Amino acid sequence: MIELRNVYKYFDDTVAVDDVSLSVPKGKFCALVGTSGCGKSTTLRMINRLLAHSEGEILLDEQAISDYDPVLLRRRIGYVIQNTGLFPHWNVARNIGLVPRLLKWPASQVRQRVEELMQLLGLPVGEFANKYPHQLSGGQAQRVGVARALAADPDILLMDEPFGALDPITREKLQEMLMQLQARLHKTIVFVTHDMDEALRLADHLVVMRAGKVIQQGTPLSLLQKPADAFVDSLLGGLERGLKQASLTRVKDHMAPLGPTLPAQSRIPARYTLRQALSMMLRDHSERLTVVDQHDMPVGELSLRKLVKEAHSSEQGSSRES
Amino acid sequence: MPLKDALPTQGRFSQWRPNWVILTLGLAMLAAVWGLPTVSVAANRIVSGTGYPVWQALSWGGGALASLIILAMMVLASHPERTRLSYVAQFAAMVLLLLLMPFGLMAASHWLVDASQPQARLGIGPAYWVVMFLALLGLIELRLRLSLARGWMALLLIGIGAVWLGCAALWLDSLALVQEFQVREAQFYQAIRQHLALVTIAVSVSIVLGMGIALLMRRFYRLQRGGFALLNFFQTVPSLALFGLLLAPLAWLSANVPFAAQLGIKGIGWTPALIALIIYSLLPIVRNTYVALEAVSPDVLDAATGMGMRTSQRFWQVRVPLALPILLEGVRITMVQAIGLTAVAALIGAGGLGAFIFQGLGQAAMDMVLLGALPILVMALAADAGIGALAAQLRRGAAYD
Repeated sequence: MIELRNVYKYFDDTVAVDDVSLSVPKGKFCALVGTSGCGKSTTLRMINRLLAHSEGEILLDEQAISDYDPVLLRRRIGYVIQNTGLFPHWNVARNIGLVPRLLKWPASQVRQRVEELMQLLGLPVGEFANKYPHQLSGGQAQRVGVARALAADPDILLMDEPFGALDPITREKLQEMLMQLQARLHKTIVFVTHDMDEALRLADHLVVMRAGKVIQQGTPLSLLQKPADAFVDSLLGGLERGLKQASLTRVKDHMAPLGPTLPAQSRIPARYTLRQALSMMLRDHSERLTVVDQHDMPVGELSLRKLVKEAHSSEQGSSRES
Repeated sequence: MPLKDALPTQGRFSQWRPNWVILTLGLAMLAAVWGLPTVSVAANRIVSGTGYPVWQALSWGGGALASLIILAMMVLASHPERTRLSYVAQFAAMVLLLLLMPFGLMAASHWLVDASQPQARLGIGPAYWVVMFLALLGLIELRLRLSLARGWMALLLIGIGAVWLGCAALWLDSLALVQEFQVREAQFYQAIRQHLALVTIAVSVSIVLGMGIALLMRRFYRLQRGGFALLNFFQTVPSLALFGLLLAPLAWLSANVPFAAQLGIKGIGWTPALIALIIYSLLPIVRNTYVALEAVSPDVLDAATGMGMRTSQRFWQVRVPLALPILLEGVRITMVQAIGLTAVAALIGAGGLGAFIFQGLGQAAMDMVLLGALPILVMALAADAGIGALAAQLRRGAAYD
């Protein structure tokens, strides 16, 4: 559990972070989004005391972070940065084992943990353990970066634009990997990004910042449904908002039972998103799709007409997923 | 990068693409062999020698053999098929040439030096120096082509040097260089010891001092400007002038402080030499240490702090190891510079190999100058290669990009 209460940060005369309050419950994924220079990275770096906050309170498990020794505090918090910050003179295994070694774990335990993490992140031990960072691709290097952050099994993970320097395909793969990890490990994550799609995809809780202030925070769906102002709206993609919302919704949540009419030609698996369904309707010139389960058996149908009506009604109600 | 990669590639079979480097070197070698005096012979140490062309020094057969080796190399170099085997053969030709050269001197000594005149001496002529230099250039070019490790190259050169030394010691009594050496054998080893001692002490002291200064500069930002300005200033003072400047204060110290006199501090001799050497050595050490420590990527340092390393852990486990290759560069530059400068220190009575150089210059005995200069050259090259190899080894683990 991370809590920021009325936190300010001044650099000389300028206000970098201006009265930010937010709380990330245990096991939740919080994304700080905004244009560059909006104070999102500064906010993140105050949590592990790489920067001292000027005013307000930052609490970790209800205890002020100023009560901790900063070094010991950082060893309890995983930290991932954009350019990986891997030590170029250490091989992969040694890089990953950094924090356990700082915590004076026995060598055998460190090795075991390193191998476990390499497997978890899809880095075959035999192939990668002895490689040096410059021998890795960008995606592999950042996997090592994430493994290093997870090494001492911290409850909290701070990620500062971790995938910002990667090409779109690698980025998507690593986002996928992070989602799977989070589904298993349930870390409390604060994730800084300027990529709204990435934030929408990963986060349980979105915090939009501008000029050091929090403009709006809430679940991705609630922000998509009701952006607080034109800035948030444009960040969320303006006209594309509807599609983004659809990409957060699963087909199975909107399908109707199979009707008496003939099933539609086009088939879509139930786990796909509404956005993919819409795309398929446009592609196949079809207002209706047959929804199938993982065995390709029809389980329901999706109709454009119904979707439009539902979207209209859910706009008035609260979101059904949070 | 080998030259061939820098040139635009054309059709595989259509163009004639010889290795121009080797061809040019070969042509220059042939010109030197036939155009320059190969050896010189003097009746004694004082008179200047008469030069002899290759056909008189090594006979027509010797000249032809040398030319044949060079020509064989050039033919291989101009062949369009660039196989590894061809490069190996060219490499072998160069090595063979370098190995045969001392035997040529033996032949010249046999034919040209009158055995009944013990004073008569054989000098190594310009053709020899030029061919040796060009052959070394050729070896460097071929080493790159063959991507031969530095270590093997160093071993090979040491081997060639040993053959030369062996020939000189065993069969080349008439060689002027050998005669100069034989007269001053004890002095020579003494001079090498002094030279090495001065260099080692000066460089070690400046490493300790220089790194300390660099660390202080990082902590106290104001020190940095003034410090670098001062060190830069010293670097521009000519070495002889610096020795002169030190003379008066050290003489005064020696005369007025008994303890200093007991230590052997004097206006001339090793004290001013050592002080001057240290002052000159400081700039490269301080600058490289400072730059090396500052050049460590901020991301890496940020990660180190963020992962929970203490300041000292971050310094010793991250900053210093990453700075080490650049830092060693500083030591390398300093070492080579100090080896050269110590020669000048002989002028104020500090001893070392420089003594031979200045005595030889005074007596117009060029072979004595060589007796001092050649070991200095070898030392400088060895220091350069040795520390360079160490730095390369350190870099290998991690490409610091």
